Amino acid sequence: MEAVLFSPDILMPIVMARLLRNGETVFHGVASPLPMVAILLAKALRAPDLIYLNITGSTDPTPAALPRSTVDPALFAGTRSRVTLADLFDLSARGKLDTAFLSGVQIDRAGNINMSLIPGPDGDPHHPKVRLPGGAGSAAIMPTAKRTLLWRTKHDPRVFVERVAFRTTGGNVDRVVTPLCVFRRVAGLLQVETIHPGVTPAQLQAATGWPLSVSASTPRTPEPSEAELAALDAVDPQRARLIEF
Amino acid sequence: MRNKLTSLSEAIARVPDNAVVALGGNTLHRSPTAAVHELIRQRKRGLNLVKTAGAYDVDILCGAGVASAVSAGFVGYENVFGMAPLYRRAVEQGLVRACEHTCYSVIAGLRAATQGVPFMPVNAFSLSDVPLAQGYKQVADPYSGAEVFAVPAIQPEVAIVHVHEADAEGNARIYGTLFEDVLMVTAAKHVILTAEHIVDGSTFAAQPELTTIAGFMVTHVVHAPRGAHPCSCHGLYDMDMGYLGDFYAQAQTADSFEAFLREHVLDAAYHEMAQDVEREADTLEWSEAALGDVSHRAR
Repeated sequence: MEAVLFSPDILMPIVMARLLRNGETVFHGVASPLPMVAILLAKALRAPDLIYLNITGSTDPTPAALPRSTVDPALFAGTRSRVTLADLFDLSARGKLDTAFLSGVQIDRAGNINMSLIPGPDGDPHHPKVRLPGGAGSAAIMPTAKRTLLWRTKHDPRVFVERVAFRTTGGNVDRVVTPLCVFRRVAGLLQVETIHPGVTPAQLQAATGWPLSVSASTPRTPEPSEAELAALDAVDPQRARLIEF
Repeated sequence: MRNKLTSLSEAIARVPDNAVVALGGNTLHRSPTAAVHELIRQRKRGLNLVKTAGAYDVDILCGAGVASAVSAGFVGYENVFGMAPLYRRAVEQGLVRACEHTCYSVIAGLRAATQGVPFMPVNAFSLSDVPLAQGYKQVADPYSGAEVFAVPAIQPEVAIVHVHEADAEGNARIYGTLFEDVLMVTAAKHVILTAEHIVDGSTFAAQPELTTIAGFMVTHVVHAPRGAHPCSCHGLYDMDMGYLGDFYAQAQTADSFEAFLREHVLDAAYHEMAQDVEREADTLEWSEAALGDVSHRAR
């Protein structure tokens, strides 16, 4: 039977939402449309008591429309309290943040991320070949949150590298969700947990910068259910998430 | 009560070259943009900008040659546009030093200055190349001996913060998200507030707990309606996507950026507002329609 193909903008938020648990605290930072959608989706589907935290300092916001910027005042709507960004970092620092969504310009085999720079010929970090935006909160959150879920909408060998050119941070990475697969970090290294429908092991290997252990028997990512698809449409009817693709 | 109301140009004239300057807001939200543009018009040089996450403000100050260092966790336009082209070019050409932080270490540095101590331990960087690149060191806990990273105090010479309402003394209210703005106020030697509305502060007394910035810490108050434009200001206006889109397109090359800077900043007449009390604080009067859903507000 031919696999039904789901575009990454549908599959990724659904897969990310499946990883979230009822009752846990979940944080996303700047530039995080897919986590924003995934968190709202998880709350709608199976985790009503999940506590949604973001940079605006809101708790469980109910945005009227999903914003382009994930620091937007839209993500403050409906909150019954106000904390500061410092409060959220403190929460993670004292070990009380359950789950954080983070990403990387480069992500390596050990789950380290690079958001900082690509070094130039002299290797001096103050003379980079490419200056990247910086890791925002990741060098504080990733080592201290109980678990980190990474996501990236591009899966190619320049993103998924054997070793990052600069380690903005490592940390408690649990899984990495991409347009092609889900990695799980086992014994300190990313292993393919499931391959998305319609993706071949050869395609996945060609897109990844380190040797993978994948075969025809590698489990497939379960396809979205009707309920998941309907909830995704309800949570993000304007498809704000497409800004990431 | 001291009247600290002044024009934007007079307030910004007090910012010395080569100063550490903290900018309130976060990415494209409630940045003190009117003041940023005035820094450019007054040809300031050598500023070290402090911000957890910057976008238009940090980018344009790098492009205009005002900044020579940026101490931040993130500089970029999120998914709205992507990387910050002027910041990136300036760092890659060696014109601006990227003093990379994580947002939490910016906060820790501001906390150290606020508390009058030379450094602040911070639970961050344990698995990062940033400390080696930036020279952040570890200290031993004098009790347990455990090592912890310590970031040096960040004491801004000036903090510039855009607020919704301020009175003439500098008592001020921020609605919606605070970001690090109150911490910047307590850490800085001098504080410039730009305000959407200048209000009669006696009306703040009905609910002083909503006034998160105490006037005695503030040095200058400037009436600057739409002073965060093209960034958003909670409850009042959204990001100006047309302006930002034009800016981002013109920021891609040095020539087109110069043209943008001339048209929108250098040759743009800034209309100073009358620096007097505009009206009473209307905390209890702003309509839901104007503010959107801000259920935290007292009624």
